Amino acid sequence: MDFGYSREEEEYRERLCRFLDENLTEEIARQNWEDRGVGSEGREFSRKLAAYGFLGMSWPKEYGGKGLSPTYEFILLDELGKRWGCHVPLDVGYTMVGPTILRRGSEALKSEFLPRIIEGEIEFCLGYTEPNSGSDLASMQMKAVEEGDYFIVNGQKTFNTECHYSEYHWLAARTDQSRGAPKYKGISLFIVDMDSPGITIRPLWTMSGERTNEVYYDNVKVPRHRMVGEKNMGFYYMMEAIGSERNQVFIPMRLYSLLQELVQYARDTHHNGRPLAEDPLVRDRLAQAAIELEVARVLADHSRWLESNHMPLSYEPEITKIFTSEMEQRLVDTGMQLLGAFGLLMEDSPRVPMRGRLAWYYLHSFMTTIGAGTSEIGRSVIAQRGLGLPRSY
Amino acid sequence: MDFHFTEEQRILRKTARDFLEANCSASFVLEMEKDEKGYKEDLWLKMSELGWMGLIIPEEYDGVGGNLLDLVVMFEEMGRVCLPGPFFSTIALGALSIMESADDGLKSEFLPAISRGELKLTMAHEEPDFTRYDPYSVGLKAIKKGDAFLLSGTKMFVPDAHVADSIICVARTDGQPPARYGLSLFIVDAGSKGLNLRPLKTMAGDKQFEVSFNDVRVSKGALLGRLDRGSDLLDSILRKAVVCKCAEMLGGAQKVLEMASGYAKEREQFGKPIGSFQAVQHHCANMLIDIEGSRYLIYKVAWLLSQGIPAVMETAACKSWVSEAFKKVVSLGHQVQGATAYMIEHDMPLYSRRARIAEMSLGDGRYHRTVVASQLGL
Ligand SMILES: Cc1cc2nc3c(=O)[nH]c(=O)nc-3n(C[C@H](O)[C@H](O)[C@H](O)COP(=O)(O)OP(=O)(O)OC[C@H]3O[C@@H](n4cnc5c(N)ncnc54)[C@H](O)[C@@H]3O)c2cc1C
Repeated sequence: MDFGYSREEEEYRERLCRFLDENLTEEIARQNWEDRGVGSEGREFSRKLAAYGFLGMSWPKEYGGKGLSPTYEFILLDELGKRWGCHVPLDVGYTMVGPTILRRGSEALKSEFLPRIIEGEIEFCLGYTEPNSGSDLASMQMKAVEEGDYFIVNGQKTFNTECHYSEYHWLAARTDQSRGAPKYKGISLFIVDMDSPGITIRPLWTMSGERTNEVYYDNVKVPRHRMVGEKNMGFYYMMEAIGSERNQVFIPMRLYSLLQELVQYARDTHHNGRPLAEDPLVRDRLAQAAIELEVARVLADHSRWLESNHMPLSYEPEITKIFTSEMEQRLVDTGMQLLGAFGLLMEDSPRVPMRGRLAWYYLHSFMTTIGAGTSEIGRSVIAQRGLGLPRSY
Repeated sequence: MDFHFTEEQRILRKTARDFLEANCSASFVLEMEKDEKGYKEDLWLKMSELGWMGLIIPEEYDGVGGNLLDLVVMFEEMGRVCLPGPFFSTIALGALSIMESADDGLKSEFLPAISRGELKLTMAHEEPDFTRYDPYSVGLKAIKKGDAFLLSGTKMFVPDAHVADSIICVARTDGQPPARYGLSLFIVDAGSKGLNLRPLKTMAGDKQFEVSFNDVRVSKGALLGRLDRGSDLLDSILRKAVVCKCAEMLGGAQKVLEMASGYAKEREQFGKPIGSFQAVQHHCANMLIDIEGSRYLIYKVAWLLSQGIPAVMETAACKSWVSEAFKKVVSLGHQVQGATAYMIEHDMPLYSRRARIAEMSLGDGRYHRTVVASQLGL
C-alpha cells in the first residue's frame, strides 16, 4: 500500500500551485464551472496552462504530450478544483473527447486534433442527449446517412452545454436505420465543425443561470473522415470512455473550497456574542461534511489508481460519481443550515455573505445527480456490474 | 375525530383554485419576480372582492369571520401557484397580529380597511446582527420620550416592506438580547420620517428588505399589547403565522408531487413510462409519505390553535417537519423530471427556490427543534 505521491509528482504539484496562485482567478474558475461560457480570460488561462507545460502530462509524446502517468492529470484536476471549484477551462475536449480520439480515432484525426487540445486551443461540446433520449441514450434518433464522401445529418439534440463557445460538436448519430437491429449497434461518432451550414443553436437557460443548448441539424454535410473509429461502433466507444470521464469530471476536491468557506464563515460570524463555530450543531455538521469529503477522496483515488495502472474500470467510477454528486447536495444543505436566511441572498444583494456562492450552489445542486447520467441509472450500473444483479430494463 | 373539511371549506378551496389557476400562471410569477413591486394591484383588488382579505377577520370588523383552518385552505391554494404579493404579510403577519393583540381601538382602526383591501401590512422582526433565527434576539431600541417612543435600529428580511402601509415592529424596551422580557410591539406608519428601505435580492425574487429606523417616532397608541411583555403576544402571532407558512409549503409540495407523478406516467425511456421503474416509484411514494405527514400535522395544529390551545410543541414540530419535507419533495421532484425541470422556464424551479425561502421564514428547522427540545423539558 502507498497513498503518497512520488517526488516528481510532488514537484509538479508545487510548480503548479505557484502557477495557479499567480494566474487563476475566481472569475476564470466561474466561467468554466458555471458554463457561462469560457470567455477571453478563460481562453488565455487555458493557453497559458499549456504553455507552462501543465497540460498533456499523460498524453503520448508524438501529439505533444509527455507520456507520463495519468496521476499528473489528477493532480492538475485536484489543484484546479481546490481553487473555487475550477476545472481545465476547455474540459470537454481535454477530459472526454481527446481520450476517445486517442483510443479510437484515425491517425489523421489524432494529428489534426490532439496537439490543439493539449495546447489548450480548442473545445468540443457533447452531442448525446435528445428530447426523447436521455437515460435511454441508445434510442437516439438523429440520423446520419452516407452519401459518397459525406454523411448527411438531420435531427435534434438537446442540453448540449458548451456548444455556444466550442469549435466542434462531438456528435453521436444513428448510422444504421435498419429495423430489428439492436438500437445500440447502429450509432456512430462524428466530429462536426460547429459553424457547418445547417446547424442552428438555441439557448436553454438553467435555473442557476448557466446556458445549455438545443442543437438542430438540417442536412448538415459531415466529411466521412470526421467519423471516429468504425461505423456503428459509436455507442461502444461512448461506454468504454465513461469510466475515465467520471474520473476526470467528478473531482471531490472541487467541493473543498466550499467547505473551507463555510468553515471560515462559522469562525468569523457571531450570534449573540459567540462565534457560530462554538455551536455543537455547527461543529457536528461541518465535521460530517469533512468526513464525507475524505470518503469521496479515497473513492476517487481508488478508481483513479485503477485507471493510472491500466486496470479495468467497472462500477468504481460510478460510485465516485454518485457519492460526490450527492455529497455536494448534502454539503449545500449544511451550508444553508449554517447561513440561515442569509444563505438566500444572491451575489448582488446587500448583506450577502460568501459572495452569494451558497445560493448559487443550491440552485446548481439539482443538476449534479442528473447530468452525465442520473443517480438511478448509476445505482443500477453498480448493482449489475459490481454485484452481478440481474437487469430489470 | 373527523378529517373532513366542511362544505364551505371545500367551496372555498375550489373557488380559490379556479381563480388562482386562471389568474396566477407560472409565467406571471416569473414576471413578478423581476417586477420591482412584485404584484399587480388589480389582482389584489379582485382577491379582495372575493373576500379573501377579510377571510379571518371577524364580521364586526367587516370580515368574513372565518377560522384558522379556512385560512390554511387559502394558503395551501396560494402556495400551490406560488402567488406573489403581500397577502401573507398583510394577513398572516399583519391582521393576525392586530387580532391577537385584542386592542379594540387598533382593531377598529385597521381590520375593516384590511378587509376592504385598502391596507397592507408587514412585520419587521429579524435583525442583521443576529445571524441565526431567534425571535427574542432583538436589539432595535424603542426609547420612551414623553408621550411617544423613538425607534432606532435595523431590521432584516422584512417581506413586502415597500408596499406596506404599516409595519409591525418588534422592539426592545428593556433588557438585553436575547432576553424574552423587554420586547414590545409597535405599529409604525410606513411613511414615518427616519425609516429607510434597502431591497435585498433573494434567490426567489420575493420582495424582502432591510429596514432601518433612525429615531422613528411613534405615539404610545401605536403599542400593540403590553409594554415590555410583547413576547407572549409575539409567540401567539408567530404560531398562527407559522401554520399559514406551512400550509403554503404544503400547497407547493402537493403541486410538485402532481407534476412529478404526472411526468413519470408520460415520459418514456427504454420503451416504458419511467414511472414503471421502481426507483422512480419509490421517489414518488417518498414524496407522498412526506406530504401526508405534513398535511395532517398542519391541519391538526391549525385545529388546536383555532380551539385556543397554545400547541407550542406541535407548532414547532410542524414548522420543522414541513420545512424538511418540502425540501425533500422538491429534490425528488427535480430528480424524477430530469434535465427538463432544471431549466429556468420550467415550473419546478419556482418551487425549489421557494422551498428554501419558506424554510428560513419564521424560523428554520434548527430553531424550531430547540423549541421542541425545551418543551420536552431538556
Ligand atoms: C445541466 C446539464 C447539462 C447537460 N449537458 C449535456 C451535454 O453537454 N450533452 C449531452 O448530450 N447531454 C447533456 N445533459 C443531459 C444529461 O445527460 C441527461 O439529462 C441525463 O442523461 C438524463 O436524461 P433526462 O434528463 O432526459 O432524464 P430521463 O432519462 O427522462 O430520466 C427521468 C427520471 O427517470 C429515471 N429513469 C430513467 N430510466 C430509468 C430506469 N431504467 N430505471 C430507473 N430510473 C430511470 C431517471 O433516473 C430520472 O430520475 C445535460 C444535463 C444537464 C442537467
